[in-house]
Amino acid sequence: MGRAESIIRILVVPLLAVLWVSSGLADQGGVTLSTEAETGLKHWKITEHGLDLELIQVPPDFIRASYAARGLPPEVSEAVATRCVFGTIVRNVSQSALSYRVADWRHVKADGTELPIKTKSEWLEEWHGMGVRFSWSILADAPTFAVGDWIQGFTTLDAPHGSRVTLKVVWTIEGKRYAKVLSNLECAPAPQQP
Amino acid sequence: MQRSCRIWNVRRHLSSPEAALALVLLMLVASVAVAEQPPLGHKMNPVSPPLAAPGFTLPDMDGEMHSLEDFRGKVVMLNFWATWCPPCRREMPSMQRLYEKYRERGLTVVAVNQFEDPDLVFEFTGRLGLEPTFPILFDRESRVSERYQVKGLPTTYLLDKAGKIRFRAIGGREFDHPEVEALIESLL
Repeated sequence: MGRAESIIRILVVPLLAVLWVSSGLADQGGVTLSTEAETGLKHWKITEHGLDLELIQVPPDFIRASYAARGLPPEVSEAVATRCVFGTIVRNVSQSALSYRVADWRHVKADGTELPIKTKSEWLEEWHGMGVRFSWSILADAPTFAVGDWIQGFTTLDAPHGSRVTLKVVWTIEGKRYAKVLSNLECAPAPQQP
Repeated sequence: MQRSCRIWNVRRHLSSPEAALALVLLMLVASVAVAEQPPLGHKMNPVSPPLAAPGFTLPDMDGEMHSLEDFRGKVVMLNFWATWCPPCRREMPSMQRLYEKYRERGLTVVAVNQFEDPDLVFEFTGRLGLEPTFPILFDRESRVSERYQVKGLPTTYLLDKAGKIRFRAIGGREFDHPEVEALIESLL
């Protein structure tokens, strides 16, 4: 066995394994999963066909607290907090305009049934109907991004806390439509009862 | 501290090629840490053809009213933001630096806060490393951001002296980047 090979076998491979585990990174079909050391929250990330997409677990208590801090009534925060929420960051990393419509995205159930995702417009219609003029926090419905543009907001799925879900994301660049299915996403767990 | 001690111990017992490999591993750790805070970018995209910026009148922190018309003849960086928006917080010091550099030559920055209370924003700006001295206006019901078709926060428009929207950026940016400064120079 050569010297370089023994270095790799004895030193590098175990160290890389340790780093891989300690950084909480794992790659599943182009989807990188990481876990925040401090909070234990999970992130999923893809970079594909000009789209950089990150999904981050959002615990219901965080939603309640942040909406309360904005002075929003409990019925607004509860309606969101009782859903499976992912903080979503969408970034155009292509060299062309990129667009998406949340109305095209799907929550894919275990039996293959595809459900639409409640859009920002639908949330705002509810909130404005309640006299709440808050227009933020939910991921934008149907933006078109120029090069380097990015956005963040909540994606809300009708699924229980702690459950596993599959999300189908669709986007368009230069008239070409792309889709990616992110399986085995975990909704943030329900808060522990005292 | 413990991690750096471990690395130091490893490196102490390694010969030269082994030290090089350890350095590569160290860089890998560093890259993971950096990946958690991606750079903001600096690209502002042209709006073509330039659009007339919708007019507005909004109160500032002291309740004094300001209209877009007040800034006519200046280059205006119009920023829609909120304190709870992380990239909004990250980009604000760079807007202040840009403002300080170009205000005497005719640039103004106008930060239009969404939905928040002036007291909360006052407290927030006091905690920033570089406190903004440009006007912060309050669009409590997001009616102005609706007219500008703002899809998400932050969104920033660059208006020329005639009040036309010339450039736009959706998402946080480092505004004191030379490429943004070149755009400002071209409009002044």
